[in-house]
Amino acid sequence: MWSWDLLFRVLKNTMDCRYFSEIKYSEFARAINSGIPNERIPIAGTLELTYRCNLRCIHCYCNQNPDDKGRREKELSATTIFNILDDIAERGCLMLLLTGGEPLLREDFFDIYIYAKKKGFLITFFTNATLVTPRIADFLKEWPPSKVEVTLYGISKNIYEKTTGVVGSFEQCVSGIKNLINNNIPLSLKTMVSNLNKDEVIKMREFAKGLKVDFRFDPLLHPRIDGSKAPCQYRITPKEAIEFELMNDNRLQGWKKFLEGAGDSEKLDSLYYCGAGRDSFSIDPFGKMSVCSSCLSPSYDLRQDSFAEIWDNFFPLILNGRYNKNFKCRECEIESFCTNCPGYSMLENSNPETVVDYLCEIAHLRKEAFDNIYKGGLDDKEKIFSASG
Amino acid sequence: MNSLDKIYSKNPNIVFRKIANECILVPIRHKVSDLDSIYALNEVSARIWELIDGKRSVQEIKQIMLNEFEVSNQDLGSDLEGLLGNLVELGFIIPGS
Repeated sequence: MWSWDLLFRVLKNTMDCRYFSEIKYSEFARAINSGIPNERIPIAGTLELTYRCNLRCIHCYCNQNPDDKGRREKELSATTIFNILDDIAERGCLMLLLTGGEPLLREDFFDIYIYAKKKGFLITFFTNATLVTPRIADFLKEWPPSKVEVTLYGISKNIYEKTTGVVGSFEQCVSGIKNLINNNIPLSLKTMVSNLNKDEVIKMREFAKGLKVDFRFDPLLHPRIDGSKAPCQYRITPKEAIEFELMNDNRLQGWKKFLEGAGDSEKLDSLYYCGAGRDSFSIDPFGKMSVCSSCLSPSYDLRQDSFAEIWDNFFPLILNGRYNKNFKCRECEIESFCTNCPGYSMLENSNPETVVDYLCEIAHLRKEAFDNIYKGGLDDKEKIFSASG
Repeated sequence: MNSLDKIYSKNPNIVFRKIANECILVPIRHKVSDLDSIYALNEVSARIWELIDGKRSVQEIKQIMLNEFEVSNQDLGSDLEGLLGNLVELGFIIPGS
């Protein structure tokens, strides 16, 4: 665990002005994500503005029809969102993720965005970029987010649109990315790896490199939040997931660092052992607040209770929950290699404490691959690939 | 004009936040300093920032600070000059009359 006081002292010590310290946003974010704080402050919030989306991605966990009037009417109004933004700013939220669905589908998106900017949040904005016109890029240039993250679904029209189900969406996405680049908006690209687009991931990475922007990928598709397991049929195999992981030096080094420190870290006996509910929270388009966007139950209604009441009185009840000693994952000898968590387990099996077979298989392959890395040296990728098969 | 008679206004595109007992300045709009960064103020700087309101002169701010902090007139004068100079350079405050 770390303390906020120590975090700021460390960050400030890297600066030399005696009156104030300039702290890079990326450094701050990295420090926040380095562990669990000893004092609960809701520093990082996720606000899902809508689940509606103009694309119909086959693997998506939440997308709904863009024209679903019933859904739209149930979404939080801009006025209610302003009140929530006031409340979370008051309690110390600094890093705010605006996401969806596709947030740009909301007609009041710019009102909400500017309101959030004026409250002093550091905003990350997730979009598929297909609706990013020159006018929207100009707006973002005037009111820059800390970062825009765009998901690419392929690098060819064929694969991209097979995934999104919308003809013409590939050209719109490329055009949106171009508009963001032309306006120097802080941008990074990412993809969810599926069995449809897996052969294009390297090309997507090259595309991002050509634009001089960061690229990351996530191979772990999970079920939809409405319980449908439809996205799981597009999962790549566990072996492929590990191969993707190993070809990414950043991820490889990240795992190495994590595993080297895993033995030293304090083992918590609480059900939730990450920052969920301790330094972060998530609010869905209808005002339901939960500790994490993957763990939707329990959730609390911001239309009935204030943010402060939920954060101060209800979240501690969740965080006080201990894990079930019979839950074998928490005693598993290769737990450090596994990415299962209450959120993923909830999505997979509607229970925060279950084995997720897909992740379990990946964890065993990861362990096997890392055993070979330590034997053969980090650069011996060929050996690692064959070993994990 | 004597520098102590100057009056400064805050740039409205800089937002003051208090997070985990830290006082932070966040630039929010294009062409205002480095938008990749936030700025953490020390205790003295945070109080000075609070006192800058487009009405008080530097002399008035200095007098309030002398009443509130155990600091010599000379040290405070030097700190005020240094901080205000930095803030003007960053575009966080705007000199008025």
